[in-house]
Amino acid sequence: MKATEPLRPEPATVLEVITETTNIRTFRIAFDDPALAESFSFLPGQIGQLSIMGAGESTFALSSAPSRRGSFDFSVMKTGVVTSAIHELSAGDRVAVRAPMGCAFPTDDWKGKNIVLVGGGIGMAPLRSLLFYLLDNREDYGDMTLVYGARTPGDLCYAEDRRDWESRADLDFAATIDTACAGWDGCVGLVPSVVEEKAPSPENAVAVTCGPPIMIKFALQSLDKTGFREEQIYTTLERRMKCGIGLCGRCNLGPKYVCTDGPVFSLAELRELPDEL
Amino acid sequence: MKFISSEKIPGFLEALSARSTVWAPRELTGSGGTVMFERWRPGDPIDLEHYSSLSAKDVVLPRTEKLFGYTYAFGGSPFSGGLGASGTAVAASDSDQAPATSGEQIVIKPAEPAPSTVLFGVRACDAKSIQVLDALFNNPGGEGYNDPQYSARREGLTVITLACTTCDDACFCSSFENGASEKAGSDLILYPVDGGFLAEGVTGKGGELLSEPFFEESELAPPPLAETAVIEGLERLQEILPGLFDDLDFWERVSERCVSCGFCTYGCPTCHCFNIHDEMQGDREGERLRSWDACMFALYTQETSGHNPRPTLAHRYRNRINHKFSYYPENQGEILCTGCGRCIRGCPAALDIRDVLRDALKAARKE
Ligand SMILES: Cc1cc2nc3c(=O)[nH]c(=O)nc-3n(C[C@H](O)[C@H](O)[C@H](O)COP(=O)(O)OP(=O)(O)OC[C@H]3O[C@@H](n4cnc5c(N)ncnc54)[C@H](O)[C@@H]3O)c2cc1C
Ligand code: SF4
Ligand code: SF4
Ligand code: FES
Repeated sequence: MKATEPLRPEPATVLEVITETTNIRTFRIAFDDPALAESFSFLPGQIGQLSIMGAGESTFALSSAPSRRGSFDFSVMKTGVVTSAIHELSAGDRVAVRAPMGCAFPTDDWKGKNIVLVGGGIGMAPLRSLLFYLLDNREDYGDMTLVYGARTPGDLCYAEDRRDWESRADLDFAATIDTACAGWDGCVGLVPSVVEEKAPSPENAVAVTCGPPIMIKFALQSLDKTGFREEQIYTTLERRMKCGIGLCGRCNLGPKYVCTDGPVFSLAELRELPDEL
Repeated sequence: MKFISSEKIPGFLEALSARSTVWAPRELTGSGGTVMFERWRPGDPIDLEHYSSLSAKDVVLPRTEKLFGYTYAFGGSPFSGGLGASGTAVAASDSDQAPATSGEQIVIKPAEPAPSTVLFGVRACDAKSIQVLDALFNNPGGEGYNDPQYSARREGLTVITLACTTCDDACFCSSFENGASEKAGSDLILYPVDGGFLAEGVTGKGGELLSEPFFEESELAPPPLAETAVIEGLERLQEILPGLFDDLDFWERVSERCVSCGFCTYGCPTCHCFNIHDEMQGDREGERLRSWDACMFALYTQETSGHNPRPTLAHRYRNRINHKFSYYPENQGEILCTGCGRCIRGCPAALDIRDVLRDALKAARKE
């Protein structure tokens, strides 16, 4: 991002649109300026703002592999004005982007540890980027577990990635759906109960959870039962955002701003902040 | 110090307006006494007696400003539906409205450069507040954010302050370090004396003006400045407010009469929250705008799901007080209030921020 004018986005082009579910699509995007496209880099957990001129700007997690050069992904759930306009996009369309913003998962501090990822619905977006990163640096980390849930098989994103995650011997992966249905021979049950069943050891481990608030709430209870302490658990927060640079005042949680001090927080950090989620 | 007689003020302003945009306080026609900072042109009356209802912050942070313009260079924009009747953008959904073709570019056009500006007749509290905003928006070459448009305006801005020799009962600037004798943010200070004003240059920019022919040498002593009411211990609120955060009864009680009109934030010289939104002009081009927003508004933090972290007046009022007296001091080492009293004079529900601050200090003492 050009440090001089952080509110001014850079022109970019949609390279590819992947339909994930009925209301989630992944947009593969590249900056139009070839030098910027090549030099652009980010870390897992960081976010960006995608603009459709005329509709406005919205915040999304960068969901692609940080190691991939030249382009990046946003996975967008259709919910309102801007996200509906985004869903109209097809390959070749012009957009504008401000990225990267916010802080990343502290992956350096996690070296040598076992990692448990717990994702639900669109909350898988930042975890997908994180997982790519961890798998790219597989030898730096211990055992790796991923529980990813959605209501129905059709609500699960990243079909292609999931095939790869399933086939890997170095990742314990369970995709789960809420209730059994025809054609699904995988795991059935709510994410938190699957976490409890797997009962990953809290010994030398960190857990990262992201998803709908209700899932996070129960996932935290499950992790607590499993013996994870607050400082071992990380999550990413959502708030209505505008500027993304700690200025417009919208996304504060006490003295912290989700856009610059977050979106990644450890549960221990959150407990220190005013309870205004 | 130098002296300028009252008769020479219009001529001085006229000379300034020949080379800069001049803003000065004036009574809005037919408003029954509402004073606002307005663009001044030769012949316009000014009002140096009353306090302005809104601060002069829009000179550095305009109510609405263009961040940049944009054009789709050719082909249909992906947004060819344009604007709906409600003013919200409507996406084109039929495929016959061709989406942007490859080869089309979005061209982003920077906003126009800022004019050189003189802000005439602000009070010490308002000059100080510009310096407070500087810490957030104006950090050229330094650490922190530097807003190119704010910085350009700031660079071209000269602040001429009118020192207060009297105050009204809503003023409480003496609760802060320098009160009415505050010099931060001023380039030139005018002290009212018989027949005119003593003038003191604070910065080089202000000092240069004193060589203009409107000023003469003077041996007069500056007048005593206003002493306003003092609330002791405002700096302790940074420690106290976190303990009161969860006492929603307290926040409900102190904000009971609030009607969420937002005047207290729009009128405030230090409030600086903003919204960013797009406006299309036709279906091919438009502007991205930044405009004032306020944490006192119900939708300010409402998320798409409908969830709102600050669902009630009490939650929003709590945020406003905490931001000014706890969060901001924690982040910037300074209270985000100058004691100008505007939020007290202008609140339609007669809420007095001083009562809330005193109550908070008292609640802490009881514990
Ligand atoms: C850190 C972070 C990461 C995110 N990551 C993702 C992600 O990876 N994928 C994803 O799909 N989503 C993500 N989101 C959520 C996404 O940003 C929102 O779903 C999106 O912004 C909705 O935009 P919209 O315009 O479509 O919604 P709208 O519903 O049109 O608008 C959003 C909300 O703003 C309110 N609003 C509208 N106009 C105004 C106004 N003028 N003033 C005040 N309030 C107003 C509305 O009441 C509504 O609740 C993330 C959010 C954050 C903060
Ligand atoms: S001016 Fe008064 S009524 Fe209006 S939002 Fe502020 S406190 Fe509430
Ligand atoms: S909070 Fe009230 S008294 Fe303080 S600077 Fe703002 S308007 Fe003035
Ligand atoms: S989005 Fe503006 S302060 Fe965080």
